[in-house]
Amino acid sequence: MTTGPDISPIFLFDTATQAAIPAELHDSINDQHLADWEAEWMPQLFSILRTLKAEGVERRLWPQSRHWNWGEKTKAIEGRLDNQCFSIVCDGVTQAMMITELTHRARLPDQKLDHLVYVEFVEAAPWNRSDIIRQPPRFSGCGSILIRAAIEFSKLEGYKGRIGLHSLPQSNSFYANKIGMTDLGPDPDYQNLRYFEMTPAQAEAFIKEGG
Amino acid sequence: MRLDISKDWCLEKGRAEVDENIGAGLLGIDPIIDSDEGRVEILDESRLALGRFVELKRRQERLTIEALAMKADVEISELLQIEHGRLLKPEVRTLYKIATVFGVDHKKLMGLSGLTRSKDMSFVEDAVKYAARSESLEDLSEEEQAALDGLIAVLGSK
Repeated sequence: MTTGPDISPIFLFDTATQAAIPAELHDSINDQHLADWEAEWMPQLFSILRTLKAEGVERRLWPQSRHWNWGEKTKAIEGRLDNQCFSIVCDGVTQAMMITELTHRARLPDQKLDHLVYVEFVEAAPWNRSDIIRQPPRFSGCGSILIRAAIEFSKLEGYKGRIGLHSLPQSNSFYANKIGMTDLGPDPDYQNLRYFEMTPAQAEAFIKEGG
Repeated sequence: MRLDISKDWCLEKGRAEVDENIGAGLLGIDPIIDSDEGRVEILDESRLALGRFVELKRRQERLTIEALAMKADVEISELLQIEHGRLLKPEVRTLYKIATVFGVDHKKLMGLSGLTRSKDMSFVEDAVKYAARSESLEDLSEEEQAALDGLIAVLGSK
């Protein structure tokens, strides 16, 4: 496992100005991140839900992660050595968060039962989600950077960049086409969410693109 | 764990990710989103009227499906399914984008698609009537014939 919390300099893409904005990748989710989630993310999410309700959009079409409670999630894994959290901060506010864990094993035939880093949860702030705000996100790039972090964490643990995750339905194309993971199809044990896995070769290709 | 990620890499990935959603992980309380459970039965004729509207409006604006998909920033396959009335669950975002390009009320498009139910749904009935009247009896135009020939060539004959 890694030692204490660390911060890496990164950049997010500001879609309004098309500029690269300096940001921070934290290998932790701390009280400040959770305060942002509660005070910044949740009010905007509720405002979006109110709009959807007023428009008569069915609840099944509302943001699928709206019940996620990052306070509860991080509390549940407090002190556990097989979990690692990450967050992205830009403009003084948390822009995305991710929780990974180490107990899952690979499913692809070529790496079956090998260790990997499993991405348990990843979510961007509401203003960074074009699907719910119906306009370009404030900042783009959080997903790729967090996946990069999961890959680097996997390498650090000796897992050679292998990662796996269950994608929310609206994110399937991102993990298949933009990240380049292998789609192993719906998983009946995980609410029928599609399971995606990345091999070391795919991880290297992803890092190399844009490098 | 300190990472060294270049500005160029961040910028390129950021640009590529603009229209993407990144959520992953088990849902807390929500039921299975893509299951048939709770799926609202959508009137076939209403869905076909939506498809007919999109097709006619697209043709009026002299846009190919590909051009409309690019302009509205939606998937070509989804657009094709909407035009042919085969998409049971169009994305809210897609209908919103199409409505924006065509300058119509996105709430009505959602009503027509079956995603929402407003108090006054009479416009759906009207839309279906207009759609039924719009079915062309004319021979195929040269472009349509060429497209059909191309499709037959690609699909192969018996």
